[in-house]
Amino acid sequence: MKRVQLQRWSSTVLSPRARTSTLHQRLYATRLRHQSTASAVQAESAPQNGFEDSPLEDPGLKAHLESVHNRKTQLKYPSPPVQAASTSAKLAALHARLYLPSRLPLETLARTLVDASADSNADFNNESLATLGQDLLTYYTSEHLLCTYPRLPLTVVFAAMYAYVGPKTLASVAREWGVEHASAPGGEVDPGLLQFQRLEPGADVEDTANIKSARPYASEQKWRKTVTSKIFYDDAFGEATKGSTSASQGVPAEQASATFVRAVLGAIYLHAGRQAAKRFYEQHILSRRLNISELFNFSQPARDLARLCARESFEKPVAKIISETGRKSRHPVFVVGIFSGPDKLGEGAGASLIEARERAALSALKAWYLYSPLNVRVPSSMEEEGAAPWTPAYVDLGEVIV
Amino acid sequence: MPVKGIRTVTAARNGVGAFILQCKRLDFHYCNYGGSSRGMLQFLTQTLPNFAAENPQIEVRVAPRPGKHPVIKGYYINGREKAICTRNLEPSEILKKAMILKDASGEKLKRTKKPVTSMNESVRGIWSPYHGDLRSV
Repeated sequence: MKRVQLQRWSSTVLSPRARTSTLHQRLYATRLRHQSTASAVQAESAPQNGFEDSPLEDPGLKAHLESVHNRKTQLKYPSPPVQAASTSAKLAALHARLYLPSRLPLETLARTLVDASADSNADFNNESLATLGQDLLTYYTSEHLLCTYPRLPLTVVFAAMYAYVGPKTLASVAREWGVEHASAPGGEVDPGLLQFQRLEPGADVEDTANIKSARPYASEQKWRKTVTSKIFYDDAFGEATKGSTSASQGVPAEQASATFVRAVLGAIYLHAGRQAAKRFYEQHILSRRLNISELFNFSQPARDLARLCARESFEKPVAKIISETGRKSRHPVFVVGIFSGPDKLGEGAGASLIEARERAALSALKAWYLYSPLNVRVPSSMEEEGAAPWTPAYVDLGEVIV
Repeated sequence: MPVKGIRTVTAARNGVGAFILQCKRLDFHYCNYGGSSRGMLQFLTQTLPNFAAENPQIEVRVAPRPGKHPVIKGYYINGREKAICTRNLEPSEILKKAMILKDASGEKLKRTKKPVTSMNESVRGIWSPYHGDLRSV
């Protein structure tokens, strides 16, 4: 087996117990702490200046002592100190890799990498930024979906929202940005690593007790929930809203990564403004590929289509064979079209007549639901300067009720 | 239930919106004693500061590796790493090697047989024997 080589710089990311410090360093460090005359408050406010009056002449030794002392003070905090952000190569590389605006300082980017489970202090973790980012993400995505596909059924809208800005997607976005996870949070960790308290092995990820919903009878898990009520009571994906997890519990890596991506968007909005945030959203989230026609799961497409034609006062849909081959063979193929009067609504091929008819009804329903108007504009495009006057977006009746 | 939604995840298309450079870290290893590191030492002192400034997306690390040939190691977003030995190379040649690592995607080298690879469906569609005019034999 190949020997694992611990690199010499790895001591900065290791936990204090596993750190490879020499006896020398430990001696100096302890002696300094005992001899330090500065009061605790002074040392905290100005950790750099604790060595002004020390009698050491050798500048190298002094610098070394300073770094050791800094590390000692860093260990007191649950997340890296603010001044560590300017010296982290990882953080600067991440800033450049994402082409973040220069108005977004490294210190804020460092803060977006600190999860609430790592540092419970709201002034130093990313919870507030993530809340803002989540609101922006859901707003931009929902307006895009509703304006581009005005006829989508609500369940499919929920699924599309989940596909664009769900936690799984955001976690993979963070992975594709090259963000690495710190093995454990702490003040001595490189601020360019994502810091969160990991879950204990075997811990329950699906925390059902944590549901914080305004829905009456929210505790009744098995009761039927209507799709419409999900708009009022639930989150953007049609799930019950969850409260924030307590710090001691730890969070899954997926959740911490998703919170980080949300916090980055929130930080861009705060520092660089609305336009930069929207551009960032379009480049990183909206540019990802999603085939919305694959999100439908019909149970009875022929019945749905009949109801739809009745609602829209089209003629009753009729299935007709367009072509067929090998009816008596082992592999017959039927091509069936669904016609409403002279208009062909959809077409499908299958190995049996029923299968072909279902597929034809499915393609007809998808053709209806995936209608997209030309020259789509979203409401947030009015926030740009010199925007053309608003023309009302197409609003549809909604999905057919069966 | 009339229609249900199926939950999926969107697929990344690097370069369609934003472009993320896939090389996230370059490690330069050298030896202060060995003659094969002479070009590397020159590169580290003269060329590397400019290279690092031109590519701020990449975290650059320089570390000694005494008694070994000089090596450049690239670490990529997909988790893979690539190493190029730069023994006895001139600084200009080492820069070329560093550029190779910088531009690499981190994937194993593959022969591309098709001119275009795409996630999108074919615009033309697939030929169907059941449509169009039927020809009698």
